[in-house]
Amino acid sequence: MNYIWENILKKNRKKDSLRTCLKLNYLFQDLSNRELDLVANIIHKRTFHTGEPVFHQGEIGVGMYIILRGSVDIYLHDNQRMDQQEKIFVTRLEAGDFFGELALIEDNSIRTATAISQNESVLIGFFRPDLLEIVNRSPSCGSKIILRLSEVLGRRLIETTDRVSELGKELKELQAFTNEESLGNKTPFTT
Amino acid sequence: METRRLLRRERYVRLAAVLMIIASALVIILAVENLLASFVLAFVINYLLDPIVDAFERRGLPRTWAIVIPFLALAIVIGISISLLVPLISDQIRNLDSEFPTMRNQLAALITKTELKLQSYLNIQEFSFSKEINTWLIQSFQYSTHLGVWLQNSLTTMILAPFFAFFMLLDGRKISRSLLALVPNNVFEMFLNIQYQLNDQIGGFIRARLFEGLIVGAVVWLGLQIMGFPYAGLIGLAAGVTNLIPYVGPIIGALPAMIICLVADEPIITDSTTIDLVLVSGVYLIAQLIDIIFIIPLVVAKIVNLHPVTVLLAIIIGAQVLGILGMIISIPVASAVKLVFSTLYRHLVAFRGQSLF
Repeated sequence: MNYIWENILKKNRKKDSLRTCLKLNYLFQDLSNRELDLVANIIHKRTFHTGEPVFHQGEIGVGMYIILRGSVDIYLHDNQRMDQQEKIFVTRLEAGDFFGELALIEDNSIRTATAISQNESVLIGFFRPDLLEIVNRSPSCGSKIILRLSEVLGRRLIETTDRVSELGKELKELQAFTNEESLGNKTPFTT
Repeated sequence: METRRLLRRERYVRLAAVLMIIASALVIILAVENLLASFVLAFVINYLLDPIVDAFERRGLPRTWAIVIPFLALAIVIGISISLLVPLISDQIRNLDSEFPTMRNQLAALITKTELKLQSYLNIQEFSFSKEINTWLIQSFQYSTHLGVWLQNSLTTMILAPFFAFFMLLDGRKISRSLLALVPNNVFEMFLNIQYQLNDQIGGFIRARLFEGLIVGAVVWLGLQIMGFPYAGLIGLAAGVTNLIPYVGPIIGALPAMIICLVADEPIITDSTTIDLVLVSGVYLIAQLIDIIFIIPLVVAKIVNLHPVTVLLAIIIGAQVLGILGMIISIPVASAVKLVFSTLYRHLVAFRGQSLF
């Protein structure tokens, strides 16, 4: 008896786990259960081995990845240098984090960093064609996702603007400092 | 190092499995009789109904019902139009069947006459083509027997195609998703992109071309009907279908009406065969002008641009391999091949020299 019930419930549990994971993600938090089912049937579950790259910097990207299990490291390659092998560690992403969302919006977007799986990780791939299919089949669900996506991108933009103005300020200070220095250097000659 | 080797092997195995599945599906479709035609028709139905199914789904209907409703509607529409058109068309077919041998003989006589004229103009006696053409005519236009076989084949197609189309609409996404699940990680995004673009482009292409064919066929039918030309319905149908073949199609489509004009015992519309020919060509010209001026810029323009030479080459190859069906599907197939290669190229060239691991 127990066995039967376990089996009946197990089927739904598998689906439920994916649904709860999606629900926990920032992009999908507004969706109803029915909409989550639609999304769960459209997204792609991918398994990556330890050390296997998810994507490389410079590749054409089609969409984003959400980490379901495991962790992913993000690296930057310095294009100015001849030695392409040298990579700069940027950050480590854990379960629940997502990356590559810019490719979801931009057509033929180029990956700006390299992502490498650090252990046996399971990622959810959510790509531009999937987003377009959701918009086509359930516009209300699609607009909820797109709204959250624009929030994420907007926040990134604000962060970047802050950083740029900070850098601008620093640059001005530095310029003022060098000006003073050069003035200071010149003074012995004038007097 | 060992894990890298294992990973690489897994990738090769997965990629090989995917390519094998695609290749064997293609081989089966091409090898089994009637399957190709059924599949092509099923694809057409699939792409025709897909936007309607999506629209129903947007209104909140479950997908199964969103498919069943347009299917039933289509069946009713086809049923009604068949019950209305069959008496008309079958009369025309019966008439044509009885008149066909005379027409063929008249055409043969016309060819012989033209040949004699040519011989007297050019003053060469050895030059003869009428015999070959006439035997070919008699052999290839055993009208009634051909019709029987053709009907039998098309009946299988007619039953199989909606069946395939229904499951393409219902499970097509599931099938392509499970195939995509097999694709190795390093080329997954590329495969997804190719699949999406192919689907998008072929769907648009099929809908646009069908719309074109419908308009051209209707214009030809109306024009000929107004002038009281015999077999207007059949000729319009032929014009609509052949219009699916670019460049060559409209010319092939116009031939039946021209031949009927030429071989008729007495002029059909006016007093002179020449004026008749001019009028009939006028109808085809108007149909083509409407197509070129209104329909192509509106619906066809956004679909892949193939160079005219490529189009002609594709049509010739299609005709050689698969006959009329080959001519009709040659352009979507050629544009699909172009799309696959250009996407492959973009993805693989953008990939700046990093090793595949």
